[in-house]
Amino acid sequence: MNAPTQIKTPANPRYVDRDTLFEVERFLIREARMLDEERFREWWQTQLTEDIHYVLPVREIRMRADKKPVGSNPGAFVFNDNYAMLDMRIRRLETGLVWMEDPQNYIRRFVSNIDAAWADVDGEVDAWSNFIVYRNRRQRDETVVWGTKQCRLRKVDGQWKLAGRTILVDQRVVLDKNLYFFL
Amino acid sequence: MKDVTKLILEDGAVQDRRIYWDQDIYEQELEQIFARAWQFLAHESQIPNAGDFITTRMGEDNVIVARQPDGKIKAFINSCPHRGNVVCHADTGNARAFTCAYHGWAFGLDGELATVPLEHDAYYDAIERPRYAMHPVAKVESYKGLVFGTFDAGAPSLRDYLGDMAWYMDTFLDVPGGIELLGPPMKSILNCNWKVPVENFIADGYHVGWAHAAALKAIESPLSPLAGNQAYDVNSGLQVATRGGHGFGVIWDAAAAIHPDGGAYREWLAKRTPIMRERLGEWRSRFYNGHWDASIFPNCSFLYGTNTWKLWLPMGPHNIEVWTWTLVEKDMPAELKQMMVATNMMTFGTAGMLETDDGENMEQCTGSNRGWVTRRGKLYSGMGQVREGVHAELPGIVGKGIVCETSNRGFYRRWAELMSGRSWEEISREPHYAPNREVA
Ligand code: FES
Ligand SMILES: [Fe+2]
Repeated sequence: MNAPTQIKTPANPRYVDRDTLFEVERFLIREARMLDEERFREWWQTQLTEDIHYVLPVREIRMRADKKPVGSNPGAFVFNDNYAMLDMRIRRLETGLVWMEDPQNYIRRFVSNIDAAWADVDGEVDAWSNFIVYRNRRQRDETVVWGTKQCRLRKVDGQWKLAGRTILVDQRVVLDKNLYFFL
Repeated sequence: MKDVTKLILEDGAVQDRRIYWDQDIYEQELEQIFARAWQFLAHESQIPNAGDFITTRMGEDNVIVARQPDGKIKAFINSCPHRGNVVCHADTGNARAFTCAYHGWAFGLDGELATVPLEHDAYYDAIERPRYAMHPVAKVESYKGLVFGTFDAGAPSLRDYLGDMAWYMDTFLDVPGGIELLGPPMKSILNCNWKVPVENFIADGYHVGWAHAAALKAIESPLSPLAGNQAYDVNSGLQVATRGGHGFGVIWDAAAAIHPDGGAYREWLAKRTPIMRERLGEWRSRFYNGHWDASIFPNCSFLYGTNTWKLWLPMGPHNIEVWTWTLVEKDMPAELKQMMVATNMMTFGTAGMLETDDGENMEQCTGSNRGWVTRRGKLYSGMGQVREGVHAELPGIVGKGIVCETSNRGFYRRWAELMSGRSWEEISREPHYAPNREVA
């Protein structure tokens, strides 16, 4: 699966109208709450299209003068998932055998700076947003992950669904033990 | 120097918990292990052209590894000999020189001091440039594409250092076309002692069925029956401790087992096996089809089959950076390489389904030693000690089955040898642990 490694606003974005922007905002905010509440199966069944591509690339630290394209090496993604792979990750959580999740982690997602423009495919939207995720575990194990994401949304039977997501975490060294949560 | 003779007992089977916590023991490790032992730096394929470089660490020392115009590889400490600034901040790139951001000293690809701003007007041409080269890594050698370095000019050659482990590793290094490591490496942190993941990879077949029960069930692979220790057959694999602290465990015929859709990989193995049998003989063609967990002393680990390649870089006694690449055969078709990457990321990447289980245990195993009384206790890795022995055809000490701690003990015997501060010669002259028992 070839995966994007960068997020860039197109040259002349066709920003969506106010109603559509409102719908996009509600989608992202409600999705975040759904994930905070650990409704992963529901998320997978109702919020995603079956052709979803869910990506979090590994970023490299390079000098500005280095012209080799970022991500030109095909070898590293934290997530590079399709619908079936996301299902597998959720099935793992559903086994009840993930000792790290028991007792429960507290994960809180914040979404902001939301904007959206019509994509080059009819009826699809590219939405940009920034995020902060706070995770607190055990007695005093806490981390914060910051980043940005671009989402491709598609209207299916009158309802917005997530068809693609590229996530950039603003850390070269992920300052946590893992990123096993959905962003 | 701390007397370490009581920290490791019973031929490596008992460890004093202070080795996972105490600052003074850690400082001694930096001196006696990381300033002496060979450490993994890069694979040659990461820096193919003159001027290509990567930055990494040996112990806590930052180093630059650079390809020279004559094709050789050199490494030196990434700290400016003027006032100590870090010189290169990129992970990787291509350079003609490395220029310090503080006062502008510039160093050649070989680490030599090349230009000094105001050399004439302020130093009056009195600076002896050769004295201010970047501190070289004493020896840099490569074994079948894997580049290692040591700060100790008196260390044995890399080939001797790897010893019998090289014979085993040829199983996947000696493939036609060789191997490569796909990156850039993932990097994350763990609040654990660096030895804990090394132990886990070198010997711990025991945790797989339990710690990874959820992932094994979810992946639906031939390994799924291991979940919850439902199925274990002592004849399904073995474990080897090679002299020098390296070791591995193997599960026969399981190279492709963890891949959710391993068909293409199985076909590849079937196609290459006759070639490998021809090249390396019956045993190693068997190893070629097995799944390995392994560590190279001190801090490099890999899983052959899942094809994850790891460095555990110490950052103090209770913190490490985890670097992860994907190991592939160069001749594999592009789609197969992509599948290898996908499986590695899915299992042992930063959001890997198994990585996540392990990281948690490694942190908790370390953190519990914070307790003063806890820390006075001992830990036990004596599993299978009463059955391990020598093998008629395989080098090293061989333990039965993958659920066994033979190679963990080998790791700690080496750890204790180096930590004692004795020279390489002294260590090599001493009698080695050799159980007087034959293992089939
Ligand atoms: S510290 Fe590097 S030039 Fe002065
Ligand atoms: Fe594990």
